[in-house]
Amino acid sequence: MDLEDLPGELIMWILIGSEILVFAAGITAMSAMRLTDPTGFADAQAMLDGRMAALNTVVLVTSGLFAARAERAAAGGDRRGARRGLMLAALGGAVFLAVKGVEYAHDLSAGIGIDAHPFFTFYFLLTGFHAAHVAAGVVLLATVAIRTTPDAVQAGAMFWHMVDLVWVLILPPIYLLG
Amino acid sequence: MRDRLTLNWLILIALVAVTAALSTQDGRIAAAALLVLAWAKARAILGGFLHLDRAPGWLAAFVVPLGLWMGLVWALAAVR
Repeated sequence: MDLEDLPGELIMWILIGSEILVFAAGITAMSAMRLTDPTGFADAQAMLDGRMAALNTVVLVTSGLFAARAERAAAGGDRRGARRGLMLAALGGAVFLAVKGVEYAHDLSAGIGIDAHPFFTFYFLLTGFHAAHVAAGVVLLATVAIRTTPDAVQAGAMFWHMVDLVWVLILPPIYLLG
Repeated sequence: MRDRLTLNWLILIALVAVTAALSTQDGRIAAAALLVLAWAKARAILGGFLHLDRAPGWLAAFVVPLGLWMGLVWALAAVR
């Protein structure tokens, strides 16, 4: 197991590892906090709409496929294919943010704010921080699409897969483990 | 299927579908199953999209700690 075996730039793997640790720390803190008020946390969690989270998972993993195809196209010298993949992946990110916006609007209209219950503090902080990464990723993918060098496309795709990875890890504790 | 990326995506979509089907279930076994499904999705992303399938040892370096962390999350959910 050598560092040279890692695909892509080492700094991207440091970033991916760091982000996993940050979100894992947040989820662990939420899970520990849940022990102090299991009924309150379960009641609060039941107010969330898991269908939107499931829809967003489909959107995000599909955009991940487009990012992966863009990376493959760029590696093969197909800049047009790479650009198309990047833009489709970015579009997926925009759809994710739109669905998340609808979900937040429903939450707020139901009286769910960040200080309504400690569960919602974790919910808004973790999903909001993740959504900020999605927004940054959309900008990154669109920027890389302007200049589709293989290394840049690979770095953009890696960032996008990290966003995808974090989402599948935080989803069960936030939405499903009641 | 010849296209490994599309196959990986299909695996992820199947895992999402099973997660959605299981999401109505309560209890420790269902919680464990949901976390195993999340771990499988993470493995598919790391191995298939981030290409750790081709990096000897590195896939395990990511998915084993993730599995241990999920065990901790499950334990915290189970002791309530």
